[in-house]
Amino acid sequence: MNASSTPYGIIAEFSNTASLLHAAEKVRDAGFRKWDVFTPFPVHGMDQAMGLRNSKVGWFTFIGGVTGYTTGMIMIWWMNAVDYPLVVGGKPMFSPFHAFPPSYELTILFGAFGSLFGMMFLNRLPRLHHPLLKHRQFAQVTHDKFFIVIECADPKYSETETKKLLEHAGSPRIEMVEE
Amino acid sequence: MNRSSAHLPLNLAKYRNVPNILMAVGGALAALGFFVNREQFAFSWLLAFMFFLSLGLGALFLVLVHHLFDAAWSVPIRRISEQLSTILFPTMALLFLPIAFLAPQVYPWMREPHPELDHALHAKYPLFTMSGFYVTSALCFLIWWWLSSNLRGWSLKQDQTGGALPTYKLRRYSCVGIILFAVTLTLGAVMWMKALMHEWFSTMYGVYYFAGSVWMTLATVYVITMVLDRQKVLSNILHANQYYYIGSLLFAFTVFYAYIHFSQYFIIWNANMPEETFWYLAREKGSWFYVGIVIIFGHFFIPFLGLLRIDVKSVFPYMLAICVWAWLMHFVDLSFNIMPILHPQGFVLHWLDLGCWAFMTGLVATVFLKKFAAHPPYPLKDPRLSEALGLYHAMPDSFSAADLSPQHGRQGGK
Repeated sequence: MNASSTPYGIIAEFSNTASLLHAAEKVRDAGFRKWDVFTPFPVHGMDQAMGLRNSKVGWFTFIGGVTGYTTGMIMIWWMNAVDYPLVVGGKPMFSPFHAFPPSYELTILFGAFGSLFGMMFLNRLPRLHHPLLKHRQFAQVTHDKFFIVIECADPKYSETETKKLLEHAGSPRIEMVEE
Repeated sequence: MNRSSAHLPLNLAKYRNVPNILMAVGGALAALGFFVNREQFAFSWLLAFMFFLSLGLGALFLVLVHHLFDAAWSVPIRRISEQLSTILFPTMALLFLPIAFLAPQVYPWMREPHPELDHALHAKYPLFTMSGFYVTSALCFLIWWWLSSNLRGWSLKQDQTGGALPTYKLRRYSCVGIILFAVTLTLGAVMWMKALMHEWFSTMYGVYYFAGSVWMTLATVYVITMVLDRQKVLSNILHANQYYYIGSLLFAFTVFYAYIHFSQYFIIWNANMPEETFWYLAREKGSWFYVGIVIIFGHFFIPFLGLLRIDVKSVFPYMLAICVWAWLMHFVDLSFNIMPILHPQGFVLHWLDLGCWAFMTGLVATVFLKKFAAHPPYPLKDPRLSEALGLYHAMPDSFSAADLSPQHGRQGGK
């Protein structure tokens, strides 16, 4: 492990949700893209304050579900009506009705896979380490502190200006995080 | 979010006469049909009756679940359902009278010369007797009257007193009410609709009618809420989430209806017993087959895919189209249940269907608007109203430590 001192970003601490919400609105309005908010519990209205749009995970779920449904239908049709035709209970070799329950279950299964793996893909998970985990004060995020982190990789980032913005937003404690 | 209250109120005064025109034209057509073609009149009337019964029962259900879940979000829109549910009595009870009089012409089992020889009637004794039919029907309307008038009455009482007693009363009525609701709705669906083919049986049937009823009611409530928002009647107490929640319930009931109807069909299809399959066989003859296909796609797939996205539930022109479509599909669904007895060869859209439906639309609209205008548009003093308004998040710095001490805590807490 190299003792590098590449800065990862800037971390600002807040002590309550109200000041955090207003700070998030300021960061959003300043046009930052690579930033995030960390809280011990869900804060109502944070999505709007951060300007987050609806998650894209739903598309992975939908595509997974459609894939599951068609896979189920084609599989049952192929096995029961083409590859090994077998009369069961005097029913037709293939009917969308008897094929529906298993296809529906595959819809749910593949939809769930879509959700899980889509979420992991969008979040770039799994990931073994994150620079924030080295930051001592950040451990308080699971207790009673709230944080805004703006990454250096953000095109709007400038060490002095960004620090000033967060100071104006009311953060009592602003520090640098290293890679 | 583009709320409809952001626009100027619509000038609805010019539509004031629409219910009267519907009543006059529809009433004239229905009266003409009564003399010209009595059998068609009876079936068309039954179809329109079951359609608006859905609205009353669906609204009653929405009020009942609101109290049972002690919900906060639906407080601003509860008065709409409360007023809608009171169309059950006396409006729907009066509209039932023609069916009560023409029952022997509508229900084949009543014309059975030897009911004691019919096993299906024998097995359902004494429900399927003339007295059984009328006693059950009267009982249903009495229970709906008792429930809907009390649920509305206590809610109106709270507008004046602001006391806690009405809230407790409403909860008690709902606890008893939900069970009575389930029993009476099933009896109504069985005695008035399923009894057209009395040899048939399906434990799903009551739930099936219920699912479609709540579905079309949610669509109706959505549109009424939207209009009241635009007219600045509810705009100050509504949030975007009310639309999202009604839309989500509409979506849920789209799936629930499909689940129930598929289960009913699938079990019968799989078991393949003649005493059950004949009901669906009659509905695969002629153009009824295509009506069935329309129900599969129009009642389920189109609204399901159409409501799937999270954001469309708040897009008003889009939702209006879905809600109108829901009314149309519920009509087709009830037609699929009722009309194959009269027109076994295929689907017929008779002018009497439209006449009876128009008459009842006008009447129900008039009754609802009159009731709604006579009282506050939402429960003014409901204890959960402030929560529905989103005023319940106490900030840590909005109270001091003294507020949390035992002396003050009782007053500070809810």
